[in-house]
Amino acid sequence: MTAVRRWLVVGLGLAVLLALPSVLGALPAAQSELSAAELLERVQESGDVSYSGYAEAVGGLQLPVTQDFTDLVDLFGDRSRLRVWWRTAEDWRVDTLSATGETDLFHRGGDTLMWEYEDDRATLTREPDIRLPRNADLLPTELGRRLLSEATAEEVTRIPAIRVAGRDAPGLRLRPADRRTTVDRVEVWVDPQSGLPLRVQVYGAGSDTAALTATFLELTVAEPSEADTSFIAPPGSEFRFEDVVDVAAAANEFAPAVAPNRLAGLDRRDDLRQGAVGAYGRGVTLLVAAPIWDDISRPLRDQLEGTPGAQIDDSGVYVSVGPLGLLLTPGSRSQRSWLVAGTVDRQTLAEAASELVQIPVEDG
Amino acid sequence: MIAVELRKMLRRPRTWATILLLNALPTLVAVLLAVTDLGPRPGTGPAFLSAVLSDGTLFPLAALAIILPLFLPIAVAVIAGDSVAGEAQSGTLRYLLVRPVGRTRLLVAKLISVIAFVLLAVVIVAVTAYVVGSLLLGDQPLAASVSGTTLTPEQVAVRTALAIGYITLSMLGVAAIALFLSTITDSPLAAALGALAFLIASSLLLTLDAAEALQPYLPTRYWLSFVDLFRDPIFWRDILRGVGLQAVYVVVLLGAAWANFTTKDVTS
Amino acid sequence: MIRTAALTKRFGSILAVDGVSLDVRAGDIYGFLGANGSGKTTTVRMILGLVLATSGKIQLLGQPMPGAGRAALTEVGALVEGPAAYGHLSGRANLGLLDAMGKGGVRRTRARRIDEVLEQVGLAAVGRRPVKAYSLGMRQRLGLAAALLRQPRLLVLDEPTNGLDPQGIREIRELLLQLHASGTTVFLSSHLLAEVEQLCTRVGVLDRGRLVLQDDLAKLQAPTGRTVVHTPDQDRARVLLDGRIEHRDRDRLVVRGADAAELNAMLVSGGVRVTELGPERRSLEQVVLAATDTSSHQVGVTR
Repeated sequence: MTAVRRWLVVGLGLAVLLALPSVLGALPAAQSELSAAELLERVQESGDVSYSGYAEAVGGLQLPVTQDFTDLVDLFGDRSRLRVWWRTAEDWRVDTLSATGETDLFHRGGDTLMWEYEDDRATLTREPDIRLPRNADLLPTELGRRLLSEATAEEVTRIPAIRVAGRDAPGLRLRPADRRTTVDRVEVWVDPQSGLPLRVQVYGAGSDTAALTATFLELTVAEPSEADTSFIAPPGSEFRFEDVVDVAAAANEFAPAVAPNRLAGLDRRDDLRQGAVGAYGRGVTLLVAAPIWDDISRPLRDQLEGTPGAQIDDSGVYVSVGPLGLLLTPGSRSQRSWLVAGTVDRQTLAEAASELVQIPVEDG
Repeated sequence: MIAVELRKMLRRPRTWATILLLNALPTLVAVLLAVTDLGPRPGTGPAFLSAVLSDGTLFPLAALAIILPLFLPIAVAVIAGDSVAGEAQSGTLRYLLVRPVGRTRLLVAKLISVIAFVLLAVVIVAVTAYVVGSLLLGDQPLAASVSGTTLTPEQVAVRTALAIGYITLSMLGVAAIALFLSTITDSPLAAALGALAFLIASSLLLTLDAAEALQPYLPTRYWLSFVDLFRDPIFWRDILRGVGLQAVYVVVLLGAAWANFTTKDVTS
Repeated sequence: MIRTAALTKRFGSILAVDGVSLDVRAGDIYGFLGANGSGKTTTVRMILGLVLATSGKIQLLGQPMPGAGRAALTEVGALVEGPAAYGHLSGRANLGLLDAMGKGGVRRTRARRIDEVLEQVGLAAVGRRPVKAYSLGMRQRLGLAAALLRQPRLLVLDEPTNGLDPQGIREIRELLLQLHASGTTVFLSSHLLAEVEQLCTRVGVLDRGRLVLQDDLAKLQAPTGRTVVHTPDQDRARVLLDGRIEHRDRDRLVVRGADAAELNAMLVSGGVRVTELGPERRSLEQVVLAATDTSSHQVGVTR
């Protein structure tokens, strides 16, 4: 064999090996006869399905906040690698993997236990009424169900099936009817048998790249064993109990103000118990209002004002990150600051802010 | 012939000097940890290093994590880069070939001898680290997995053995690159540096979001996945991909080495 | 044993070997002569399959090379462009490793064969010392030992006496003659005319990549049909020989006619004192110079 032929053989082998992944990825997915409404119904009823698997969530949102919100920054601005064992909504485990360790959530009934390997620490908390988003919320199943939970059949259309985690997944596209939302569309690909969302992409208005993508890479639709979702603290590790899981829960519990029942024309969601923090809206048109202590609002305001593109006017400082809008009302001695955030446009946020600042503050 | 290559490798003073150097850094780290009792902050430093303060039996893993990113690949690149170019430079290559030794067989024997070197080095580092860790940092009867479950000493031993195997396989890519370059140049140094340049580029691209499309193909992509062996249950996905990726590197580069070397004029 | 046909090698635009057709027969001690850079080493490397010919054919022990000829290499011992060994190992260990490589080295007889060849090349006393402590001559002997290790039918030696002292050169020459007597064919590439002249039965001369001469040494050095006479009685000899003198140089006369005895009788009876008389033979140097013609300055004539 001549040298040229040998190199040809090697080159050909290399080409085949390089092309293999993309060829496999381009394999056509079997299309489904299911209508958009049927598929939507399956998703909304998939809450009891047990499964386990591995998913990755990639956020493209660079949140301009730090300090109390670092987890949130990682969550929406980075790649999260998640392993999940889901027996029921009341018995599950989600591991967030990092290169040198992991942070695991074990959820059983009303309790959530967090294991942080690198700190050798387990923390048990009661599940609060309201809290900041956490990694488990980025599972395609959780995210997809949440985003589609209040969608109507009129809002969704079918899009072609793709292959996700080795399954043929017909797709759904949600275009919210509410004009106030900054979410342009949500695309969800679904396992037609179980109704589990396998891949979710959220697009902000006027953007062609997804602000948030969550997708399963491995999925087994079967009940994981009880051992997989159980946790026994290893000998020598630290074990502690914490009352308050995060800033949002703390604000909800202890802040000396109560959010109103209706804000900027949006109804308060009644799936969350009454507290200082209010969540409003329906489907992907969501708005959260939280009273903020001075010691948190001051650094937060500095940070928001320093963010490129920040807009400051009478209603406060406004920052938008992809489809997410943040507005912090000005505070004063007699006036609490409110943080208003959500997937709604600036006008709606400003409207909400102007209503909130009317609320009298009880002296805590 | 493979046996001869192994004998050559084992009788070389440089082999043992390299292994000695590979052991030096983890041992120094163990001494420093034992003296100061200061572990790295969570999320920083090599994997498992924060855990060894409470359990010295995990130190073999920390030691492997210490040498994995730089020391081990340098050693592999030097040894593999020398494999053909070194013989060419010293003139022994022509005598091997007129013995006669098949050129393809020589390449395979060289690669196997490099792998044997890596395995030997990794095992010695692990054993040394176990002894040093147990003596200096103390041991516990039960170790914690990364997922917080308890591992018996047998489980730790089995998983450490798997990690040693995985790390050895992880070095295949570097070895194959250096071996290929070693057939191109007659300078062992140039071959080793070429392989290292490739690795440094690979490590750099891994940190770059813009290079995401390339990342699954980079040889260092799954190196740290040996940590996955200590999750509970073991997370096989990246480990299998890592092994597959290294296999692809070996096939392609050994193929390229073959294409180049079998018809090359040996003028050294 | 070795037969090449129009063997050509091109390195880029440089023509290193140009249409060389060698014929080394069984039982030869073949002297392959050429200046440094004339393409000798490249030819040797092509014969051994280290360098691939651009065109032309090679047969080694009757097998085409490269190809089936590679297997024939087990019956060939070679020393190519200086010896090479692993410096940190002893000479004995080096031979052991080399013998274990490839096919043909029988393990059972290895230790005995190593002892034998070390004895043959005169390294028996230092076989266990690391090679890095060897002198150049000792390394050369070790290289020769490696070539002899498998009792080859054909020895291909490239400059085998490099770095040896006169005593060593003589030992090696005797060794080669001894091997030749026991049936080994020797292909000896060298730039030393004297070495080839003393040892070889057949000669090939390479000049700038071309084979300009290939013949039996005996034929090249056959009597020229003239006789050389040394005499102090120049004038008397000239009268006596009358016109048969072709060349005169001090007391040396070159006389036409191959019958030295008849000439001697004639001169002596004519009263001419003869100090030396014999048939004229051309030296190898003259043959080579004549063959390489204008490029003569390139051929070394070191003695």
